[in-house]
Amino acid sequence: MGYAGRRIFQAVISILGVSTIVFFILHLSGDPVLLMVPQNSTAEDIANLRHSLGLDKPLGIQYILFIKNLLQGNLGYSYVQSQPAMDIVMERVPYTVELALAALVISLAIGITIGMLTAIYRGKWIERMLMPIILIGQSMPAFWTGILLIMLMSVRLHLLPSSGSSGIQSLVLPAITLASLSMATVARMTRSSVIEQLGKDYVKTARSKGVGNARLLIRHILRNAAIPIITIIGLEAANLLGGAVITETIFAWPGLGQLTIQSIAARDFPLVQAIVLLGAGTYIFINLITDLLYGLVDPRIKLGKDVAE
Amino acid sequence: MRGKWKQINIGFSCFLLVSLVSGCGTSATSGSQSTNVPTLVVDEANDPSTLDPGLQYNLESYTVYRNIFDNLLHRDPVSLKIVPWVAESWKQDSPTTWTFTIRNDITFQNGDKLTADDVAFSLQRILDPSLHSPQNANFSVVKSVASSGNTVTITTAKPAPTLLSELTTLSIVPKKYIQQHGNEYFNLHPIGSGPYELDKWEKGNQVVLKANTNYWKGQSEIKQVVFRSVPNDASRVADLQSGKADIAFPISPDDVQTIKGSSNLQVLSAPTERVAYLAFNVLGNTPVKSALLRRAIAYGINYPSLMSSLEHGYAQPVKEVLTPVAFGYDKNVPGFEYNPSRAKELVQQAGYSNGVTLTFATSPSYDQRIIQAIQGDLSQIGIKVNIVSTDQATYLKKIQNSSHNWGDIRMGTWSCSCMDADGTIYPLFHTGSIWSSYSNKSFDSLVDDARTNTDTNQRMKDYNQAFTILQNDVPGIGLWQMDSLYGASKRIQWKPDAQENFFVQDIKLQKK
Repeated sequence: MGYAGRRIFQAVISILGVSTIVFFILHLSGDPVLLMVPQNSTAEDIANLRHSLGLDKPLGIQYILFIKNLLQGNLGYSYVQSQPAMDIVMERVPYTVELALAALVISLAIGITIGMLTAIYRGKWIERMLMPIILIGQSMPAFWTGILLIMLMSVRLHLLPSSGSSGIQSLVLPAITLASLSMATVARMTRSSVIEQLGKDYVKTARSKGVGNARLLIRHILRNAAIPIITIIGLEAANLLGGAVITETIFAWPGLGQLTIQSIAARDFPLVQAIVLLGAGTYIFINLITDLLYGLVDPRIKLGKDVAE
Repeated sequence: MRGKWKQINIGFSCFLLVSLVSGCGTSATSGSQSTNVPTLVVDEANDPSTLDPGLQYNLESYTVYRNIFDNLLHRDPVSLKIVPWVAESWKQDSPTTWTFTIRNDITFQNGDKLTADDVAFSLQRILDPSLHSPQNANFSVVKSVASSGNTVTITTAKPAPTLLSELTTLSIVPKKYIQQHGNEYFNLHPIGSGPYELDKWEKGNQVVLKANTNYWKGQSEIKQVVFRSVPNDASRVADLQSGKADIAFPISPDDVQTIKGSSNLQVLSAPTERVAYLAFNVLGNTPVKSALLRRAIAYGINYPSLMSSLEHGYAQPVKEVLTPVAFGYDKNVPGFEYNPSRAKELVQQAGYSNGVTLTFATSPSYDQRIIQAIQGDLSQIGIKVNIVSTDQATYLKKIQNSSHNWGDIRMGTWSCSCMDADGTIYPLFHTGSIWSSYSNKSFDSLVDDARTNTDTNQRMKDYNQAFTILQNDVPGIGLWQMDSLYGASKRIQWKPDAQENFFVQDIKLQKK
């Protein structure tokens, strides 16, 4: 309880800090009103709109108002879309979660498989064949992978839609694109973790006792190798949620990444604040979940106990 | 032992294969061909910010909402004259008073009749500061709006020669419906009197419109329109190639060859009122304070080469910072032609025989290839150019700051959607205007007079004189008139107009 309480307190402080930094960076770097008005507006027109949005108040006052509203759970109205900022963000969340989950499933299925195979067949032709796949996945930027997939699957073969989000078919290409980077990370982590376990005494003991290979791999090795893999999955899940910006733009996927870029470009302060708060919250939450999962997988880890003693 | 590992290996390979294939099993159908309803799929760069026509005034928003609403007046796409639409006639009672007679046969999509009261309300709400409407700027000259019977009277603070132009962008909204449901609801569930009504709006993804079966001007051929939001240029082109979209814009001139290379695609284009221009920081403490240096730059740019190689011919020469389709364009000023030897002489005369370094302020919103080409041209005449690029918000803040400390040259593209010199050279060069880093009293008094005078001949005379001053002073250079560019399927029959309007009711589909 003490541990969880401390973590939640830390989380709140982090979120407040993040939103303060974002508030000042945004407000000092540009003016949403200049981007909203028609080109032939006068200085007076601009001053009027700025006043009506409350942006002519001193920055300190605006910050106090922002924090006051934040504590009441009010993130304000989007300047550009004239809707409550949180409503706009929540509309996009399901798309991002859908894409991130699909990408996570793909990267785990392929990443763990490749990781284990390359560990088991270290120095064999399977490793020499699979390692380049990992390298390519890690080296190709998403905008390149994405466009290549579109050219092949949509323009040439007419198999999958080139963009949009209608049905499961349109999820495939963005999910593969997004998965390609984290797949490599998961594979490398699985590989090194399994290699480490393979040399341990318990593996030799188990083998000498006649434990079957499949059982040995799944019951013993994978379980012991799981801790670093779970850590990396947690981090990757958070990265996938936040790092889909480029993939979403290429495939016109209406998720948070696209919204983030657009709202920053427009200096739509309330909307950016809402996205940042949600993003920071999610990241912190996922990290917390990962920490708690350690205890489930490996009973030797009891969170907080060693600290308390 | 080896054998068992191999079995596991096969098992995992199958798992890998299955997880890949299960995702790809179903094949995709492309958007437009799958339904029997005549449907048009449009790829835009962004989702509309709002569908309330009183709010945002950006391309993505009004491309969609102008199909849902009728405007008070209309500009004929061919003659470019202002013609009746919701207002069947109008007259000017005094230099500052206009009376519009409203048609009595128009109904909103919820069955309510469109009245003069709705027209007055549509303008009043934009003027009301509590709506935070950016379009307030388009109508800030309006002092009051009143309706009585089937007429609407608009009074302006000063004589306003461009008022009718602005009113071609005024969408008429239902007063009763908005007052009943509130602005926020109206933005999500807009009701207009236009040829299309909102079917569904998936934010960030697509807006679907369906034909209004009771439209007062008759039926449109296209019964359903899907506006998709596709921010990536290459993805929009891929959508055209794969048949996912019927029409896509904006398209970069570099994509023209790709589109023309597909047998089922075409490029649609039209010269627009948008002008590409350079502007100088004449008021700052910079080398371009020298009119000789500014003129040298004007002679040092290889316009024909830029137009053919970078714009691929989708650009027309101009003599000034305005396009020939706009009122006030003066075709008698000499303009500037590429003349590098003359340019070099002028650089010498300006006192920079040892060379000079200028700062070119810009943002990714402008075509960087053009700026780099200009940088190359100017290096030939002894002017070194440093390009300083910041994001658009920072750029605007810098440019529009009254300290005039933003650098030496910038590039822009300008369209006021008003087809009038007032909407271009006034904001760009009038003293104190946010875009202007130039000040000239005689120029100011000419454009001030043209702004508040409804005598067309006098206005034309003013602008002729104003352009003569700009030709001598060179606070800016007109690069070229831009063409609009649309990538489209060959089954689309449509002619784009000079104002970059996108009225779906004008588009026809070729029978298959």
